[in-house]
Amino acid sequence: MSTDQKYIYENDCNSDENRNKGSSRWSQCRKRGADGSLRKSQAVEELGKCSQSTHRPESFTTPESEGPVSRVKNWGDEVEAEEMRSNVRRDTHRYRRRILEADFPQRDRKISSGSSDSRDSRDSKESPAKGDMESDEATLIRRQKQINYGKNTLAYDRYIKEVPKHMRQPGVHPKTPNKFKKYSRRSWDQQIKLWRVRLHTWDPPAEEGCDVQQIEEINLGEIMDFEFDVEYSGDTEYLCPTSSGASLALAEDSFTGTSKKMMKIEDTEMS
Amino acid sequence: MENSSKEEYKIQSFDLETQKLLKTALKDPGSVDLEKVSNVIVDQSLKDQNFSREAGRICYTIVQAEAKQTNGNVFRRNLLNRLQQEFKAREETRKRSTQEWVCLVSFICNIFDYLKVNNMPMMALVHPVYDCLFRLAQSDALQNEEEVDCLVLQLHRIGDQLEKMNMQLMDELFNLLRDGFLLQEDLSSMGRLLLLEILEFRAGGWTLSETAQKYYYSEVTD
Repeated sequence: MSTDQKYIYENDCNSDENRNKGSSRWSQCRKRGADGSLRKSQAVEELGKCSQSTHRPESFTTPESEGPVSRVKNWGDEVEAEEMRSNVRRDTHRYRRRILEADFPQRDRKISSGSSDSRDSRDSKESPAKGDMESDEATLIRRQKQINYGKNTLAYDRYIKEVPKHMRQPGVHPKTPNKFKKYSRRSWDQQIKLWRVRLHTWDPPAEEGCDVQQIEEINLGEIMDFEFDVEYSGDTEYLCPTSSGASLALAEDSFTGTSKKMMKIEDTEMS
Repeated sequence: MENSSKEEYKIQSFDLETQKLLKTALKDPGSVDLEKVSNVIVDQSLKDQNFSREAGRICYTIVQAEAKQTNGNVFRRNLLNRLQQEFKAREETRKRSTQEWVCLVSFICNIFDYLKVNNMPMMALVHPVYDCLFRLAQSDALQNEEEVDCLVLQLHRIGDQLEKMNMQLMDELFNLLRDGFLLQEDLSSMGRLLLLEILEFRAGGWTLSETAQKYYYSEVTD
């Protein structure tokens, strides 16, 4: 059985590894054709084996393993990965259209840095050509996952209910980082962290002292907001991020288990 | 309202308690054990032929409801993984019970038909579905009317979609069917008729011409 596919793993992301503990851990696997063009990227099961699109038997034996190793990934993960990819592609098309629209007829539009127009006129200034836009699919998918973690929180829900998009004031109201802009890896990760920290302002009500501490806390990369809710329900020892230490599960995966929004439903039922 | 949703999702064959569970899952997915719901549905699809052909609908609705309510994917993920297990064990299932095997195929194909991802069929299921159909096109299966019937039903329902996803495999499949029709001696005449019809169906662009329709589907008069 020839296994002549080359797989390139995305292993350059610390926060991904920290986040993806537990059985739902998966990393992006990218296949390239011989000419370097991107093929569909797929979710990888824990063994890290990728399957591929041609018709092949389900199992094979690799020299280093003890017996037949299943090449088939689990369908749940595969479909989620498909969904993520197609969402990102759709977003990419929309964004490109938006950029083109912004570029062309609107020459006389005032481009002010204070603009909070959802079209973000600065986009057109900074990425006049499509080539200036981040278009690498694996990167976009990774960034989207990070954005999803942030959006899948009660804090974000409360934030968008409280402040409609058109009412947002730059500097005051956090803005979701734009995954289509070119940034270095560090720059992007830092933006995400800061964004997540700022979102904590809208965390559901807690003990007074802790709110302040949350915002001052820098290293909140992997906090799951719903942990706070669980703590809050009756527990007087309301713990702030770092003091909870190990109890903060870092398996942030917005795709498995009941999401944080579930807690909201339970919350309303309790009150 | 009660009965129409029973009708719509074909859940009459479940016991009352399970029907209740399903109805709750449709309205308030966050409040039920979705893994259990998915197991209940798969179990029933393997037993009940009618349900296996229609279960996709209720699954789709639950998936949508969960996505809307909690932004979650628990039901779909559990459903698919359970389905994958059953798929892996399909050969044993076929040996044990032809009925269960054809139910499994119908169910997988129905899921393929209904559970779309951003309006596109799930790519992950394309090869598994083809695997099932290829199995049904083997000579031992073609002898068996129940299996031929299942095969042609699926091709009627999702053949065109499958072909779009992979033309080459569909060509290969139909080569097998053509060979079976022409060369296999132990086919029943009904089996042969079914094969002929599906061959014409695809040749006509996944539809039957009027004359063919008359030939295959009108009452035979004395």
